[in-house]
Amino acid sequence: MTGKTKITISRRALLAGASGTLIASHAWAQQPAEVKVGLLVPISGLYARPGTVMREGAEMAVDHINAQGGIKSLGGAKLKLVVLDSGDTTEKAKNAAQRMVAQETDLVAASGAYLSSFTLAVTEVTERASLPVLTLSYSDLITDRGFKYVFQTAATAGSQARQALPQIIKLAETASGKRPKTVAILTDNTGASIASAKAMREGLLAENQLQLIVDETFTPPLADATSLVQKVRAAKPDLLFFLPTVISDAKLLLEKMNEFGLGQGKVPTISFGIAIAEPDMLQTVSPELLQGVLTCVASWGAKGHEALIAELKTRYKEPWMTQNAISTYGDMWVIKDALEKAGKADRVAVGEALRTMDAGPSKYYPLGEIKFDEKGRRVGAGMTIVQWQAGVPVTVFPPELALAQPFWPKN
Amino acid sequence: MEGFLQALAAGLLIGAVYGLMCVGLGLIFGVMRVINFAHGDFMMLGMYTAFYLFTAAGVQALFGNTVGPFVAILLAGPVLAVFGYFVHRALISHVSGTRTASLEGEGHYAQLILTLGIALILQNGGLIVFGSVLASIRTPLSSSAWELGPFLDMSIFLNKARSIDAIVSLAMMILLSLLITRTRIGKSLRAAADNPTAATYMGIDVDRAHRTAFALGCGITAIAGGLLATNYPFHPFVGLEYVIVMYAGVVLGGMGSIIGAFWGGMTIGLVQQMSTLILPTQLQNAAIFAVFLLIIFFRPQGFFGRMVERT
Repeated sequence: MTGKTKITISRRALLAGASGTLIASHAWAQQPAEVKVGLLVPISGLYARPGTVMREGAEMAVDHINAQGGIKSLGGAKLKLVVLDSGDTTEKAKNAAQRMVAQETDLVAASGAYLSSFTLAVTEVTERASLPVLTLSYSDLITDRGFKYVFQTAATAGSQARQALPQIIKLAETASGKRPKTVAILTDNTGASIASAKAMREGLLAENQLQLIVDETFTPPLADATSLVQKVRAAKPDLLFFLPTVISDAKLLLEKMNEFGLGQGKVPTISFGIAIAEPDMLQTVSPELLQGVLTCVASWGAKGHEALIAELKTRYKEPWMTQNAISTYGDMWVIKDALEKAGKADRVAVGEALRTMDAGPSKYYPLGEIKFDEKGRRVGAGMTIVQWQAGVPVTVFPPELALAQPFWPKN
Repeated sequence: MEGFLQALAAGLLIGAVYGLMCVGLGLIFGVMRVINFAHGDFMMLGMYTAFYLFTAAGVQALFGNTVGPFVAILLAGPVLAVFGYFVHRALISHVSGTRTASLEGEGHYAQLILTLGIALILQNGGLIVFGSVLASIRTPLSSSAWELGPFLDMSIFLNKARSIDAIVSLAMMILLSLLITRTRIGKSLRAAADNPTAATYMGIDVDRAHRTAFALGCGITAIAGGLLATNYPFHPFVGLEYVIVMYAGVVLGGMGSIIGAFWGGMTIGLVQQMSTLILPTQLQNAAIFAVFLLIIFFRPQGFFGRMVERT
């Protein structure tokens, strides 16, 4: 077949074609072929890695939703993910949010923006544009501002600390026979960590009869953890609460603890947040130093997510499912449910649907329901405690989601 | 007291590596008068080069986890020097050296835009090529220490990796000083720095001297980056975190002075660690700049800077 085919187009055919296209496009407008959902996360800079994992979770969910027939109330419209880079500073995140609402006018909802500090800035912009945003960020402030278009799927930092502390003390007491009395807090100064530490200082520690003997706040990323660990060494607390958001800080601290002879259970380290259980930790710290380290996170791949965890492994080579992946996966499903309920691809209607929805028990976030209170917080939101066991961080609490039994690192 | 000695030790060890880092930038600035905004990113490339030499190129298999990292780091230096040589030849030389006469503002605007552009390309290119996953040159040395003491109930821990880093750093510094003061290359570098016009009349190829300085600067910073990477995990944007330290160090030591740049970096390391004794840890980096401003206020030319204008 080397001959050329000559195509002749008559004026009439051209007209017919053009008007046909016009009619078709009119029909499309009524029945959108795709509904755009935003994902505003850091995919460059210091936080690029967690943002990338969030994108993986979102992509998986969008593929699953589309494979199962898309949005049924919109005639099977497909979801389309629009990814925007929030960069590595609050300023950049805010700019990205402005770009998102200005350029992507047909977004119906979005998810973002990893760090609480970013989410706080981003939602200032999206709120004015009436764009509903689901977030996995922890800071209590996010839903304390009276905003109508922010929905916090994770338990707030304060609530997480409240849920976690009694569990940790119980665990320590059963394992070692005596109740821990003194505690050191080393926290970075990002939104979520500040919120958790604040809740602890302002009552939670006292409620749990813990005495705060070291209280240090640092700016990430640390260049070196010597000064922090020296203070822990001098004070010898029963427990160390460590709240990093940058993986390098987690590594520097754990290694320094080991170097100073405080590691591997000598001063049990309990972290808050996801950084210390990221797969990247294994690239930088040897598994022995991680063994037994506990961290309190809003969500984690747990019982019932086995198939998802397996898919994430094969598709993206992620060794396990972190909060970033599972929560963002869940966000897409919540947006889907809201679209089904709203019956139209309109951000205000989706916002209203989210505020009034009651979709029963939560599948992808720990405990509670898919229902938001008047502040935009998920009703009954639980949290998970994850522990490094043999090179893998596994969910050990709550019992109904646990994949393994917790143990207390002994010295 | 124990806290003070521990902070002093940590400051000295970290400062030595910062010092070497600053020397790389200081050398380029001293000889070429070009402010290289991409320097942090050359360091990032040095870190990745050392990382891949260590893990993929068989250095780990050959030398093990204790000696291996340092072999890989020292090898990364020449690799980055060659890279720097070509970057200078292809790009920087168009806006520096003898070309500056025909450029506005002695070529400073063009240099600024060019080096910033190179920085952006290296950062984002790095993200594409290396990905966002953290990398680190893993060695058991980074989580173990030599314990000095106990004496008077005190013991000071010297991180093994950091200690060796500091020794390598000092050795590099001595080698560089010898190169600059004792060799023909060093002589041509000094001549090109002191008075490029006169150097040209004396038959010194100033552009070549610049190229050598740029290559050396990149190589040295690559080694400093590699040393840092034995403790500090890195990613393609790591340069941004350190480039400010480098500028501050160079200015503190006195623009154009190489030994000054080293002491500038050392001062930054010491201030960063020692400030935590009296200030909240949060202000660690703020303290660097407070001290920086103080020193610049009382000694605007820096520790080793010269007050005379260049002819």
